[in-house]
Amino acid sequence: MTYNILLTGVGGEGVLVTSVILAKAANLDGYEVRGTQLHGLAQRGGSIPTHLRLGKKVYSPIIPRSEADLILGLEPIEAARACFYAGSHKTNFIIDTYPLRPIYADLLGQKYPSNESISKMIEPFAKKLIMVDASNICYKKLGNPIFGNVMCVGVALANDMLPISEKNVLRSLKEIVPRGLEKNLKAFRMGMDFKG
Amino acid sequence: MENPEVLGKEGKRVVLLGNEAIARGAMESGVGVVACYPGTPSSEVPMTLSDVAQETKSLYFEWSTNEKVAYEVCAGAAWSGVRALTAMKHFGLNVAADSFFPVIFTGVKGGFVVVVADDPLGHSSAQSEQDTRFYYRMGKVPCLEPSDTQESKDLTKLAFEISERYEIPVVLRITTMVSHSAGTVKLGKIRKPKTTGKFVKDLKRYYNIRPNLQVLHAKLIEKLDKIEKEYGMRLNRIEGRGSLGIITSGVSYQYVKELGRLSNVKIAKLNLTHPISKAFVSKFLKGLKTVIVVEELEPVVENFVREVAKDVNSGLKIHGKDIMSRVGEYTPDSVLQAVAPILKLRKPDFRRHDQDLKKIKIPVRKPVFCPGCPHRSTFYAVRKVMGDNVVWAGDVGCYVLGIFEPFEMQDFMISMGASLGLTHGIKKVSKQKAVVFIGDSTFFHNGMPGLVNMARHGTKPLVMIMDNGITAMTGHQPHPGTEIDGMGIRRKPILIEDVARSFGIKNVRVVNAFDQKSLQSAIRELSKKDELCVIVSRGLCRLVMKRNVRAQGGTLTKFKVVNNQSINCKELVKKFACPAMVMKGGKVFIREDVCLGCGVCMQLAGKGDISPIVKGKKEKE
Ligand SMILES: Cc1ncc(C[n+]2csc(CCOP(=O)(O)OP(=O)(O)O)c2C)c(N)n1
Ligand code: SF4
Ligand code: SF4
Repeated sequence: MTYNILLTGVGGEGVLVTSVILAKAANLDGYEVRGTQLHGLAQRGGSIPTHLRLGKKVYSPIIPRSEADLILGLEPIEAARACFYAGSHKTNFIIDTYPLRPIYADLLGQKYPSNESISKMIEPFAKKLIMVDASNICYKKLGNPIFGNVMCVGVALANDMLPISEKNVLRSLKEIVPRGLEKNLKAFRMGMDFKG
Repeated sequence: MENPEVLGKEGKRVVLLGNEAIARGAMESGVGVVACYPGTPSSEVPMTLSDVAQETKSLYFEWSTNEKVAYEVCAGAAWSGVRALTAMKHFGLNVAADSFFPVIFTGVKGGFVVVVADDPLGHSSAQSEQDTRFYYRMGKVPCLEPSDTQESKDLTKLAFEISERYEIPVVLRITTMVSHSAGTVKLGKIRKPKTTGKFVKDLKRYYNIRPNLQVLHAKLIEKLDKIEKEYGMRLNRIEGRGSLGIITSGVSYQYVKELGRLSNVKIAKLNLTHPISKAFVSKFLKGLKTVIVVEELEPVVENFVREVAKDVNSGLKIHGKDIMSRVGEYTPDSVLQAVAPILKLRKPDFRRHDQDLKKIKIPVRKPVFCPGCPHRSTFYAVRKVMGDNVVWAGDVGCYVLGIFEPFEMQDFMISMGASLGLTHGIKKVSKQKAVVFIGDSTFFHNGMPGLVNMARHGTKPLVMIMDNGITAMTGHQPHPGTEIDGMGIRRKPILIEDVARSFGIKNVRVVNAFDQKSLQSAIRELSKKDELCVIVSRGLCRLVMKRNVRAQGGTLTKFKVVNNQSINCKELVKKFACPAMVMKGGKVFIREDVCLGCGVCMQLAGKGDISPIVKGKKEKE
């Protein structure tokens, strides 16, 4: 069986690095890993969905429609945008509720939806939906919202939504984000302890 | 090193990006010279090898001025017996084409691999949607196509082997979903590069004038035949058995495999897609009732299959572009939808899913200039001074983002450097005012001939050269105006103003892109002149600035709104559109975590509206 993870968010939020951390951990666990890591325009505040698939033998780097097992949304509306890959038969969502308003919302007069309406939109696609104010909590407790991604990984692990060993996630974290490791580990712990 | 796993030990299983796997494959082949011009989705091949060159000092690396030059540098090294690699995006091959073809005629001595990345759907390219596979047929050059990360590495090695055996450049063609897919790779042994060689004169080889030109041409055809014979059967493979067949290659193979276990279906996977082995395809087609060719973009393999089928299986039903698009990219879903009726597969019912998707109403998110980007400041100043009634000539770089609101100042965008020639043409037949926007890397790449042509023929647009000190769009690579080169060596930057003045252009002005007052006054003055004028708007890419400041242990000064009711500030949110400036409940704020401290908003706002945060909180990772 292939386990399908879709990570999404806005350029600069750490979507790519999160996917690298998880891919490395999964590899250490002995999975075959496959996925996409699109670079390019995403750097300039665009939305970036990154696919990651784990299994004994994996083929397509892209997740087939409605087959995601986990959608980790580092930004709420980007999580909603990823629903193409979700289905209520299997998809768990973990969403960081820290909003990054696209400037076009202001320029074109489009409304940024509330958390309630976002969860309403996502409900038909979700087996389970966990909203966590990760970036804000990290901002308050660690002084920087940037650790929100790692906190979300902790939440996923604690809720059995990631079939990767904690040991290897920690090892992977150590190798990939040695700078600021202490705060990353704290963010990870806060995620593991999070009660949704 | 972005990903240290690239340097991992032999036998280790690691996760690499397709492009990193190609770089590793080159290292396992003992590549001695790598010369490239960046272009997504191929850029991580050279970026990785640049890191390797700096770290190990074992090979020569350079960021060349453009793809043609890069290709020539590699060919020269390969002629001299050193293994060489260049990598480019599909459009890069258009630029390199003039030298691409003749070097295939002369052949090479050291292995020469040309990595070309196509980008169906245009994840990271505008301009056009292009299938480079036609080039390999026209040029008579072998082409290998990997389907995943492991194959990206392994076929790179094989490409070097074929290249050296047959003394011919070999293309490794990838697409975005291969180059930017990550996957598990088993590493092989890194080979110590040979970096010195010798050019040996040889008229039989390099004399490409008739009648020897025809001798070379005949030899080339012979080489290609031999390669087809030797590798055609070995490199391609057949899986399964049945009376239905699928022929596929590249990432499409993965989408076919994603269909699951198929009964009565056999699959031909092509790794060598030029020359396609006639023997292999004939063998595969014999006894089939129906065949489906699954390939993105043009029906290149399909047309070949049709030809072969005439001889070996004339009753064969052939599907390809009749059921799948020539436009855009395939996905596991689009392939399933297309082949399901023929293979009698169950199609999932997504009617409900479609309805639910329609109910999702969220704001669009288009890419924007980073906070503190020098280009935003330049566009703003030009608009402010020159108004709306101007032809805005666009070019290729981060500044294409000026196409979106609130600027909408890229009326067209054709190819690197084209802004100049196009504007010259417009100005020759029209009295309209025109401004050219071209970046520094693009200026060196292919902008110089356009500017020479303008200087020579006396057109008078205002040319804004947006010098942010780097090739930003593709991931921040150095160019001839950058101080540190691809080997990490300090060089004297070539200054754009010196180049422009050397063309005899009198009005060349250098302005600080973050200083609105000087910028606006230079534009005001020069846009009135009835002469060709060049303004070099110079300001470092803010992301590079942030990286540099951090590397030195410093922090950028952030800004805050003091008067958050100010009409000026509200205007700026709309007209300047820095993502750090947001409206909340009718008030304007600057998000400290997003602001990159360029200070331009403060210059544009009313007096005292915005101020620097004196004791800025330390930014930490
Ligand atoms: C022939 C060709 N090669 C490469 C590219 C990829 N590419 C797009 S923008 C760009 C560089 C732009 O650099 P610069 O002009 O300095 O603008 P910046 O992004 O730094 O603002 C490149 C290399 C391309 N589009 N066409
Ligand atoms: S990467 Fe640099 S040049 Fe490109 S938008 Fe960001 S700040 Fe501007
Ligand atoms: S100083 Fe102003 S314009 Fe510059 S990044 Fe900060 S908020 Fe944006």
